[in-house]
Amino acid sequence: MQLKNSTRIAALGIVAAISLTGCAAGSGSDSTDGAVECTPAEGKVELSYTSWIPGIETVVDMWNEKNPDIQVTVQTGPNGNGGTYKNFFNQLSAGNAPDLGQIEYDALPNFRVQDGLTDLASCANVLDSQDDFIDWTWNQVTFGEDDAVYAIPQDTGPMAMYYRKDLFEKAGIAIPTTWDEYAAAATAIRAQGGYITNFPQNDVNWFAGLVWQADGSWFTNEGEAWDVTLTSPESEKVADYWQTLISDDLVSKVPAWTDEWNNAYNTGSDWTWISAVWGANSISSGAPDTTGNWAVAPMPQWNAGDEKAGNWGGSSTAVLKGSEHPYEAAQFALWLNTDPEALTALNKEANLYPATKDGLELPVLSEGVEFYGNQPIYDVFAEAANQTNADFTWGPTMTQTYADVADGFGEALGGSGTLGDALSTGQTKTIAALEAAAIPVNK
Amino acid sequence: MTTEAVSAPRITPRRTPIKHKRAIAFFIAPFGVLFAAFYLLPIGFAIYQSLLVVEREGTFGKPTEVFGGLTQYFLVFQNDAFWASVGRVLLFGAVQVPVMLGFALVLALLLDSPLVKGKKFFRLAFFVPYAVPGVIAAIMWGYLYSPNLSPFAAFTSEFDLLSPSTVLWSIANVVTWVYVGYNMLIIYSALLALPSEIFEAARLDGANQWQIAWSIKIPLVAPAITLTAIFSIIGTLQLLAEPQVFRSFTSSVSSTFTPNMTVYATSAVPNVPLAAAMSVVLALATFVLSFAFLKFTQRKADK
Amino acid sequence: MSTNVSTKAGPGAPKERLASRTAAMIIMGVSTLYFLVPIWWLFISSTKSREQFGSTGALWFADFNLFTNISNLVAYNDGVYLKWMLNSILYAGTGALLGTLFAAMCGYALAKYRFPGREFIFNVVLGGVLVPATALALPLFLIFSQFNATNTFWSVFLPSLVSPFGVYLARIFAAASVPDELLEAARLDGAGEVRTFFSVSRRLMTPALVTIFLFQFVAIWNNFFLPLIMLRDQTLFPVTLGLYTWNSQVNQIPEIRTFVIIGAFLSIIPLIIAFLSLQRFWRGGLGAGSVK
Repeated sequence: MQLKNSTRIAALGIVAAISLTGCAAGSGSDSTDGAVECTPAEGKVELSYTSWIPGIETVVDMWNEKNPDIQVTVQTGPNGNGGTYKNFFNQLSAGNAPDLGQIEYDALPNFRVQDGLTDLASCANVLDSQDDFIDWTWNQVTFGEDDAVYAIPQDTGPMAMYYRKDLFEKAGIAIPTTWDEYAAAATAIRAQGGYITNFPQNDVNWFAGLVWQADGSWFTNEGEAWDVTLTSPESEKVADYWQTLISDDLVSKVPAWTDEWNNAYNTGSDWTWISAVWGANSISSGAPDTTGNWAVAPMPQWNAGDEKAGNWGGSSTAVLKGSEHPYEAAQFALWLNTDPEALTALNKEANLYPATKDGLELPVLSEGVEFYGNQPIYDVFAEAANQTNADFTWGPTMTQTYADVADGFGEALGGSGTLGDALSTGQTKTIAALEAAAIPVNK
Repeated sequence: MTTEAVSAPRITPRRTPIKHKRAIAFFIAPFGVLFAAFYLLPIGFAIYQSLLVVEREGTFGKPTEVFGGLTQYFLVFQNDAFWASVGRVLLFGAVQVPVMLGFALVLALLLDSPLVKGKKFFRLAFFVPYAVPGVIAAIMWGYLYSPNLSPFAAFTSEFDLLSPSTVLWSIANVVTWVYVGYNMLIIYSALLALPSEIFEAARLDGANQWQIAWSIKIPLVAPAITLTAIFSIIGTLQLLAEPQVFRSFTSSVSSTFTPNMTVYATSAVPNVPLAAAMSVVLALATFVLSFAFLKFTQRKADK
Repeated sequence: MSTNVSTKAGPGAPKERLASRTAAMIIMGVSTLYFLVPIWWLFISSTKSREQFGSTGALWFADFNLFTNISNLVAYNDGVYLKWMLNSILYAGTGALLGTLFAAMCGYALAKYRFPGREFIFNVVLGGVLVPATALALPLFLIFSQFNATNTFWSVFLPSLVSPFGVYLARIFAAASVPDELLEAARLDGAGEVRTFFSVSRRLMTPALVTIFLFQFVAIWNNFFLPLIMLRDQTLFPVTLGLYTWNSQVNQIPEIRTFVIIGAFLSIIPLIIAFLSLQRFWRGGLGAGSVK
């Protein structure tokens, strides 16, 4: 242990020295800055990996059994914003980050801004795997660059509409396929005493998923400076739509992920939930009394006949800066996120929905689900995954943006302000936050 | 908390050589080394970091830290979220600390009076919550406040204890619940230490229990109350665990609800220099506030 | 400061009016409910199965599942809960023991010896009482990182040993309870300073030491910010951080809620036992800090 640590420090020192000189020599070529030489090590390699996927240990054990020379030790912690990202940043600045870490797509830009990601482009098999992954996930991990790969996509959260089939049938309301129909259904359902859905104050990334579906994006990055576009026309269209539902008391306003919220679904007071694929388990565990009464349909569309979906959530596996074994780490990350056996295990343990094209065809994902009246619900999500706009970009300070927009959403739900106001406040504060972190931004 | 009161008058003349040098070193060294390593060093480090600023070029340029003087402190003073959180805990403290200490004082006086039977039981019952860590207490009360799962759901489903306008006071109740018994015991021990002859004399003069409590006991245990007040003020400014736990129960608690949460959120951005500057400002504010309170009560007592 | 003064309001007291007595007992009764009902609820909830937790009266027993719940809790995730409890006991127990010893030695030296810089040291330590522990956690992390020592037992244990408040209490108590004459007598007998401290002074300071120990124990047991920042290996977590992590996962893994509740209940038992078994000491010591 002692020896290992001291060699690690020495190695770190060498790496630092090399990257320092590399930096000085190649200043200006941004993308090659972080690239490391990616070659297999000699002898046995030990990797550390931090993730918050429940049951990840089982999957890692499968790898360890097959790869006696590349042993991975996994550590689990709270979810990203619950503390793990904070740990990563601390460890990165201290130079002792784990080799691999789970990072959600919306946090990747922040990690890159903090110089926390290893460019894996030169590692064997990484660039070749591009075609294995769903297009938009690849854009997320490459930041749209051709010769850089900063993480391996892991899972996605294609969105669809969960709805109470039984209640819609009983009330004779048609299943909405457009947002206009959805608003009309909302009025009809309210007349029955229910709510069509709940508007969550804090799930700002859910709202971003809706903007994503409408072909909006909250950030663009031109290389020189960031553009913040929370108040883009697409974004405001979505905000105005939901503001009307809120003002007309057509949606419930309980805080999401609380017992109260579970209760709203369990008692049939809320009828639909526009949510991601991983939400399937949230409903079945939060509303156990409604088994068999739910079904899944594609998201309502802005224009009849469109086929567009948003995405909510999903992670990647990144090799963090300072790892001595990027080659081995990259091989593990590729296996974890493309191997059918690994993907099946991840789905079984934690309900992860693969980010690979082939993964969508996994046998486990073609089965009917009892809670949803034996509907093969994953077919709907597989379609949605392929209908997700590939050009959506996250910004480098999402936690702060979420918090500021959520504060505004809270006011809108309380009646003092609108969702549009929340977006413009979020816009201003995000620009301020970028400036405070010395990140170039266009005003 | 005065130092003069403790040290005996200096009889030893000035130039006498220090006796027992080695023993003194032996006694002080273990604590001294640890204190230097785990208090002074981190404080120095935090101050150092608060003087840095980050520079970078391009949207994904490497961050470099350079000396920036007091830049971060200017940013702290412009930071609305930080001052909003400071204002929130000051409001919290202005209400919760007097309520809690008043409650503790009443219970201590009652325990000390002959009016109450079963003192041993009550003393223990009131003290038990102190054995519950803040995190655990917050989890427990989180359920008690829940609109559906609470045993008092009939009330909590009608009156939302976790809404933006009420959650601060719901948290105040958790803190009060944990610490009343502890503060009561401190005051109660001070009461027990008072010589009983004083009360006998008052009683012979015809004073009743309430009068004795008000005009004799309370002034005599004022130092104990001051001590509990100072610790409560420090505790209030450091509020972190309880609101942090409440974030799992309600969305009314923002990530910058208390100053410490703001520091934590800022360092999670990560913007370590700004977070360090906030910590320094907060530590100074705590220091000034407790010190001012101490001086204020002392001046009153001296009159 | 004698501990045997509870008979002060003795039989000689004249009879108070019945109204006062009733009012007093009502206040005591209502307060007792306020303090104990939440814990009663926690206990009752610990005895319920997951299904009955939400569906049966919250303040009375349903089917008694306490032991099933405990064995499920202990089995969950390779018994990580037991590890957390053990960690907490190690961090808090050993940490408070050593911390008390160091604080006592330092406070004693500050009270009983004259040397230059004494007041300065004391004031610096007193200033330490006012420094928010949270302000220290982040720089501590970065310092420990320099030695590659984060995410270790020591990264939480060592900083926990420092108790400025303990030094403050120890100094006051040593000044009040260890007479200078006694030390002089010991010196005349030829006993060394260190030996005198361990054999004579320590005994005189016992109530204060127990108080410092308990303060320190509670402070370490309750501390969750430092472990939150330092540790990433679950098996090193203290129970507070472990339960916090579980509680924040309840929404993703609902079956964990039962474990949070039963785990919370079990976690407060050691502290209650510590308080009860040491109470004859700390009752006398608690008031010490306020001696003027």
